Amino acid sequence: MGALKGMAVRLRALLRPRARDRELDEEIRFHLDLETEKYLRLGLTPAEARRRALVAFGGVERTREEHRDVRGVRWVEALVADSRYAARTFLRTPALTGAAVLTMALGIGANAAIFSAVNAVILRPLPFPHPERLVMLWEENKEKGWYKNVVAPANLLDWREQVGAFQDVAGYADDASTVTLSGEGAPRLLRVTSVTGNFFSVLGTRAALGRTFVDEETWRAGAPVAVVSDRVWRDHFGSDPGLVGRTIRIEGTAMQVVGVLPPRFSFPAEDVDLWLPVRWAPEDRAETWFRRAHWMRAVARLKPGVSPAQANAQLQQVVGRLKRQYPETNRYMGAGLTSLHEFLVGDTRLPLLVLLSGAGLLLLIACANVGNLLMVRATGRHREVALRLALGASRPRLARQALTESLVLSLLGGAAGLGLGWWGTRALGALQPEGMLRVRDVGMDWSVLAYVLAITTASGLLFGIAPALWSGGRNAAAALRVGGRSGTEGRRTRRWSDALIVGEVALAFLLTAGAGLLVRSYQELRRVDPGFDPDGVLAVSLVLPDTRYDSAAKVRAFYQTLRERAAALPGVSEAALVSKLPLTGTAWTSDFTAAGRRPGEYGSEVAHRVVSPEYFRVMRVPVLRGRPLTAEDRAGAPQAVVINDALARSFFRGQDPIGQRLTFDKVPDSTSEWWTVVGVVGSEHQSGLASPPQIEALFPFAQQRWDAMSLLLRTRGDPVALAPAVRQAVAELDPSLAIHATRAMRAVLADSLARDRFLMMLLLAFAGVGLVLAVVGVYGVLAQLTRSRSREMGIRIALGAPTARVRWQVVRHGLALILAGLGVGGVSAVLATRAMRGLLFQVAPADPATFATVAAVLAATGLVASWLPAARASRADPAVVLRGD
Amino acid sequence: MPQLPADVLRGTLDLLVLKTLTLEPMHGWGISARIEQFSRGRLDVNQGSLYPALQRLEQKGWIESEWRTTENNRRARYYRLTAAGRRALGAETTSWRRYVESVELILGTT
Repeated sequence: MGALKGMAVRLRALLRPRARDRELDEEIRFHLDLETEKYLRLGLTPAEARRRALVAFGGVERTREEHRDVRGVRWVEALVADSRYAARTFLRTPALTGAAVLTMALGIGANAAIFSAVNAVILRPLPFPHPERLVMLWEENKEKGWYKNVVAPANLLDWREQVGAFQDVAGYADDASTVTLSGEGAPRLLRVTSVTGNFFSVLGTRAALGRTFVDEETWRAGAPVAVVSDRVWRDHFGSDPGLVGRTIRIEGTAMQVVGVLPPRFSFPAEDVDLWLPVRWAPEDRAETWFRRAHWMRAVARLKPGVSPAQANAQLQQVVGRLKRQYPETNRYMGAGLTSLHEFLVGDTRLPLLVLLSGAGLLLLIACANVGNLLMVRATGRHREVALRLALGASRPRLARQALTESLVLSLLGGAAGLGLGWWGTRALGALQPEGMLRVRDVGMDWSVLAYVLAITTASGLLFGIAPALWSGGRNAAAALRVGGRSGTEGRRTRRWSDALIVGEVALAFLLTAGAGLLVRSYQELRRVDPGFDPDGVLAVSLVLPDTRYDSAAKVRAFYQTLRERAAALPGVSEAALVSKLPLTGTAWTSDFTAAGRRPGEYGSEVAHRVVSPEYFRVMRVPVLRGRPLTAEDRAGAPQAVVINDALARSFFRGQDPIGQRLTFDKVPDSTSEWWTVVGVVGSEHQSGLASPPQIEALFPFAQQRWDAMSLLLRTRGDPVALAPAVRQAVAELDPSLAIHATRAMRAVLADSLARDRFLMMLLLAFAGVGLVLAVVGVYGVLAQLTRSRSREMGIRIALGAPTARVRWQVVRHGLALILAGLGVGGVSAVLATRAMRGLLFQVAPADPATFATVAAVLAATGLVASWLPAARASRADPAVVLRGD
Repeated sequence: MPQLPADVLRGTLDLLVLKTLTLEPMHGWGISARIEQFSRGRLDVNQGSLYPALQRLEQKGWIESEWRTTENNRRARYYRLTAAGRRALGAETTSWRRYVESVELILGTT
């Protein structure tokens, strides 16, 4: 308590020094008056009394000085004076100051932007109460290779009831889908997620208006309800408070809006507009398929005081029990839990850290450049320094002043960098591939400001140390002597310049090598054959609401008519239907086995897709054996299926798959459906180009029912130009149907590479800037070094040495430094890029080709940077050089 | 003041000031007069050095000050011991006594 009061006194004294001085003077006056009175009473004359009082007091001026020392004012005063002096000198050299501030701004700005992203995505806790108690529950199946997989609803409900450590468990459908809102003006597509009734209570989110769901609404009883997002409430319903309680039509069904959520709530995805309850049928709970089909994500809230490890232990017990109770579905199903935060940000951590490291390297290069600028300035002012030393300035004082200058410069650069960084965060948020960063608005908050302040100060100290040491470490005579002629620089300065070159080259190598690896990885990805020809193909995705299309016949009729009409559109050479576009994941997987196999010999995880016969022609998927599907494979005809090459190779090794009969169960029984394999086609990639194609079976559209199909159109020109015609064709068939998405397949392919491309472009940008800065910096240092040796060169040439040899000697020195830098950079890169392994596709972290290219580029640049100044110096007239200063 | 190393001098002065203020709040001149009086004229405190010492003690939070008017209607800054200061006085007195004992011990061994 006392210490706090004391600090307040100290602060007051520091902030208002002149007032404190006046108070002290008043106290001293009072003291002297009383002391004088004492002597007066003893009978002395007023003048003599005053004199005695002053003697007894001691030195008044000394008291004032000591008092100021105790207050610590001197230190603050010195700082303020130094800062003002620094600002004046910087204003006198606007070019140098501008260059330094700009360089710093680039380095600080990059770090500010990336750290904002790191802060917003990784460091900031989830916006729920007690987010540390939220965990994601997942299922795994070693047999099928499932890991952190979606869960089956029956299991979810059992965990909820049987695991005591969970306060509650909620579920949500893993894919957000799109539905049509009609009856409120033009039909509008909304992104919707289905959730269990306790979803919002588990997360701890309250409605801003109205209410959220209650637990009972998980089940299909009572009227359908909905909860809308704040954005939809504002954009579409005009912030109407009367929305709560109103009925809206979703996919033709009437639903009552019971609540509006607070702004900025968006879980599980960034742009969910509407939340609907899952409305499961209570009788389904006991069904086998309810436990066999996996499609929900499960979020649990732990009871207070329960650790995740304890909860996991209880979960495993329940999982074991379920395995025994339901062997048919659960024999191989394990489960586990992960902190929700970790689950959501896990795969952005490495890319963001790589970017942060890249920005850090850029900042170091910037610091090296500014450090050199300041050193040049310091050596240029050696006469001034010498004079001040001779006049009695202390060395620590000069060093402190140099350091203050550096800090002022770095704060200027930091302020500019903050502005640049703010712009950078807007760019990041806007340009990021969909859903890569967990949040869309990567803003700056206090943590970011503190981080920027910290790195700014650290940078200032880093590049200020050398000039400070230089200013403080000289004695007057030596300084005056060196200032005589612009001859040889001090040995220390040369060592500093050498170290600077080696360091900058090494840093530039690291940064460029990292970017180079990402570029190669991206190139390798682009070289992967996706299995189809994307150019000239337009994909239009639709969802048929099952209220109006309630029979297989109606669905088939719609899609087949649409396909025929689309094929007849001008410009369209062929049209086809497919249930899931390649590169967008898999919708349905199952086990399978073939007739004639031994019991227990089955396969898992075969992807199912439903296609129309034209699919293979439209997508130009090669038919490797047998025949593709044709119009003959229709309802009533023998069930035919086409398998992809991956499936043929893995399950039918050595056999001819044509004619084999497949069923899609682990163990066939009397109810199993059998499909005859009629052809083998080339494998397409389902989940991105980096993962190998999965085994897949393609079924004829006419023999299967699928409500959500994509129409594919092949054209010779630009596929997107067909979009309006297709929209019209759809509207002609069903005016109230909204199109889910219209994309060129080329765009689908590009989107699957979006993350890799984004990361590569960013790191490449950092490397580009860093390389330019490093080249400029190294050139500057080498030019200055050469200039300092121009006298020596002049003497040599005057004495008859061949110009070329003299020049070469200087160039050799520069080259040696650059090669040393490449060596250091190379070794550190080999060690550092190992961390990037997770981001590279078919490229080794220490890829020799990349490293060699980067080294060659840097060496070539370095050669030019050494040669130019040497050439210029050697061309100067030796007489002029020797004579001049 | 006898010639002692600067920090011992400073510490001793702090101790004397704290002790003097245990009786009643006083202004700077009063403190110096009281110290001179109590030491029976032997300690003639360099009066000027009192004020930096008072600032230091106030910054530590051991004393606090306020401006008051004296009986003669003059404005003066009065200093007062705080609770923390009272505790510090005990601690400083103990360490001073220990210091004196140690010096005596060394001087006593011949």
